[in-house]
Amino acid sequence: MANRTIQVDYIARVEGESSLELSIRNGKVDAVRLSIFEPPRFFEALLRGRGFGEVLDIVARICGICPIAYQMSGMHAIENALGIEVDEPIQALRRLLYCGEWIQSHALHIVMLHAPDFLGYPDAIAMARDHGDVVQRALALKKTGNDLLRVLGGREIHPINARIGGFYRVPSRAELAPLAEALKHARDQAVETLRWTARFPFPEFVRDYEFVALRHPNEYPMNAGRIVSSAGLDIAAADYEAEFIERQVPYSTALHSVLKKRDTYLVGPMARYALNRDRLPADIRALAGEVGLEPICRNPFRSILVRGIEVVYACDEALRLIAGYEPPSRLFVPVEPRATIGYACTEAPRGILYHRYRIDADGTVLDASLVPPTAQNQDVIEEDLREVATAGLDLDEETLKARCEQSIRNHDPCISCAAHFLKLRVHRT
Amino acid sequence: MRSNHQPLVLVAGIGNPDRGDDGCGLAVVQRLRGRVPAMVRILQRSGDALALIEDWNGIPSVIVIDAVAPTSQPGRVHRLDLTDSPLPIGFAPHSSHAFGVAKTVELARSLGRIPRCLIAYLVEGERFEPGALLSSAVTTAVEDVAERVIVELSATLAAKGKTCHA
Repeated sequence: MANRTIQVDYIARVEGESSLELSIRNGKVDAVRLSIFEPPRFFEALLRGRGFGEVLDIVARICGICPIAYQMSGMHAIENALGIEVDEPIQALRRLLYCGEWIQSHALHIVMLHAPDFLGYPDAIAMARDHGDVVQRALALKKTGNDLLRVLGGREIHPINARIGGFYRVPSRAELAPLAEALKHARDQAVETLRWTARFPFPEFVRDYEFVALRHPNEYPMNAGRIVSSAGLDIAAADYEAEFIERQVPYSTALHSVLKKRDTYLVGPMARYALNRDRLPADIRALAGEVGLEPICRNPFRSILVRGIEVVYACDEALRLIAGYEPPSRLFVPVEPRATIGYACTEAPRGILYHRYRIDADGTVLDASLVPPTAQNQDVIEEDLREVATAGLDLDEETLKARCEQSIRNHDPCISCAAHFLKLRVHRT
Repeated sequence: MRSNHQPLVLVAGIGNPDRGDDGCGLAVVQRLRGRVPAMVRILQRSGDALALIEDWNGIPSVIVIDAVAPTSQPGRVHRLDLTDSPLPIGFAPHSSHAFGVAKTVELARSLGRIPRCLIAYLVEGERFEPGALLSSAVTTAVEDVAERVIVELSATLAAKGKTCHA
């Protein structure tokens, strides 16, 4: 086969900036590089020397799509360090806040970023001309998620209301009532969106991932649980760095996280669902069955269905939490600093987000480690691309480019979090 | 049907106050607070521009104020009528984060949710570094845009938001 070079200078519809280079030699894909060229953002260094009470406001700035995830992992890690157990109503409010982020982040990705791939549109703007009702639904869904963030987090982007030990302010039942009404509509919109995506033409493509996610004794995981994997891993967040390691690659400013013993692994909705399907209510499992979602989904192109299921679940869960809500008797648990170290993992929309903080006796952060889901999925994305490109070697350049971009978007990468977006070069020699 | 409390005009300032001249849209609307009639809603947006489609729902006339990368002279102000035309390419760079203003406007157009009158004031910025203040050129432009918007609002309100006025 003739040597070919394929180059895509800008792959849209992901968060952040990076490029992809495929090298095809003698008819075989011999190198795949997901190169994140966005400058390092130094958040771990920025946290050093700051008071532990400032951490949540700083880490919320890492991402405009998933700031709650950063706040959740941050607060749980510091509370773990200080031995704080927050009151149950505060835990419930945190879970409600996380539901808001899952709804808005997944709704954006499913319809505005990912769906155009399946229907052959260059973007959601073109898709909206033919599927205006679907896009309107997605905007309404996203708004409902954002409204949860606004009411509980203080504002939609980079929320400010969470603090170590609790909240600065909690809503009244009356403030949550309109949200419950909106969530009932959102639930219907989420089901309609899921059924719409279930009719997409999905490529036949299966990968043997090691799934990694949180697992909780009785909840579909968001804020709490042990880190488990489909290969038998079962650890506390404190043991994360004993099992996982971040490594540098010369072509990227983002670190790649791997399992020390078994290398690549997948985090995110597919992993959560595969490892926690039994934690979903029966009606949600039935809905998954109705749209043809298998109990363990190994086709990354079908991840859009898993996100759809999670949106429906997040709406139901938010409604359940609002129905049972009584304003907590105290806004937060008092916090006293001491020299210590703490760890936490929570489930960001894109997968587990690990935080570690070491603080001194007066509460100053001495060092911090943050491992976002996209850093953990980068190797998997590259492996997916190798197989997608290998299976598509006979495709024309434009079709192969489109399939590669779609393959990346299967994992909803938040490249901004991992360091930041995408040029694709394919060298065929 | 519009309720009695529904604004006739929305003025939305867009930007990040911690990124130098990117904050000029926010600075303009800050100067408008207290200086505009009750039928004008003032709004600041720092994040996802997609929310604008919901923000202007049911409001006939919308003025958006934002910074753009310099193409000629920092502080230069461009007034564009986007009601029937997209933002010119030179003003619509790719956004790495979800939807920027240009894409949001075109998405709204695809959905038939463009206001009856949509005007953009775009100010060419000079510096966008984290933590920077507004440059002197853009500080001057902020005052200019605020005064022009007040004049434009008078004409728009006189026409009950039904037409665009230069």
